[in-house]
Amino acid sequence: MNLFRSEEHIRNWSRFDPAAEQSIVPLANIVKLFSMDMFRKRLEPDYVARVGQYAKEFLGAVAELGKTRPFWRL
Amino acid sequence: MSSPELLGKVYGIILKRMVATGQAPHYTEIAAEAGVPVEEGRKALHDLIDAKIPAMWLYPETDYICSFAPFNNLPTQYRISVDGVQKWFGQCGFESTAVSWLYPGKTVRIDAPCLDCGAPLRVEMKDGVVLKEEPKGIMGYVAIPFSQWFNRFPYA
Repeated sequence: MNLFRSEEHIRNWSRFDPAAEQSIVPLANIVKLFSMDMFRKRLEPDYVARVGQYAKEFLGAVAELGKTRPFWRL
Repeated sequence: MSSPELLGKVYGIILKRMVATGQAPHYTEIAAEAGVPVEEGRKALHDLIDAKIPAMWLYPETDYICSFAPFNNLPTQYRISVDGVQKWFGQCGFESTAVSWLYPGKTVRIDAPCLDCGAPLRVEMKDGVVLKEEPKGIMGYVAIPFSQWFNRFPYA
């Protein structure tokens, strides 16, 4: 899970796999996904007890991505 | 198997230490802080890792914490600075964007080289909001399909 200066740099990268091009996402989308409770509430004292619930919410958000991009399907 | 209460306590001990210092504690320190015998602390660390909480792992066949999201205990190319002080490394580019949630009200900066050209990229965030993005148009990429992430985190 790496960051690049632009999509052009991703496609130019020696280890770029065209089969994984659906994984290319703008920074704003990454920030949105990684702002969900699974990432935001890590310092809460009951985080471990609740992480299963947070993970379900995260998987739901990723499933939305998977509707149009099979790469993101479970 | 360690109790859920002990796992929660161990998780908090490790994460708070990494937030404060950028380094993960050894299991002897975890045991001392949790108030349990050393071997119980070591087992609790392994139980926590085995609990599959995204995303953490030990260096293979050791008791050493290698990665504990969103941080890495082993240096990566994702250097994290908080209010101008660089002590931390992000687990990966994506998790690096989640670090700002651990430092409310502070400016968190991600500095990394682009893997294609080696030129720098920089993201500044506060409370989950991107303040600065250099250059504009930064993009993320992962070669491992999402369905395989949870079994192959170190390679994702």
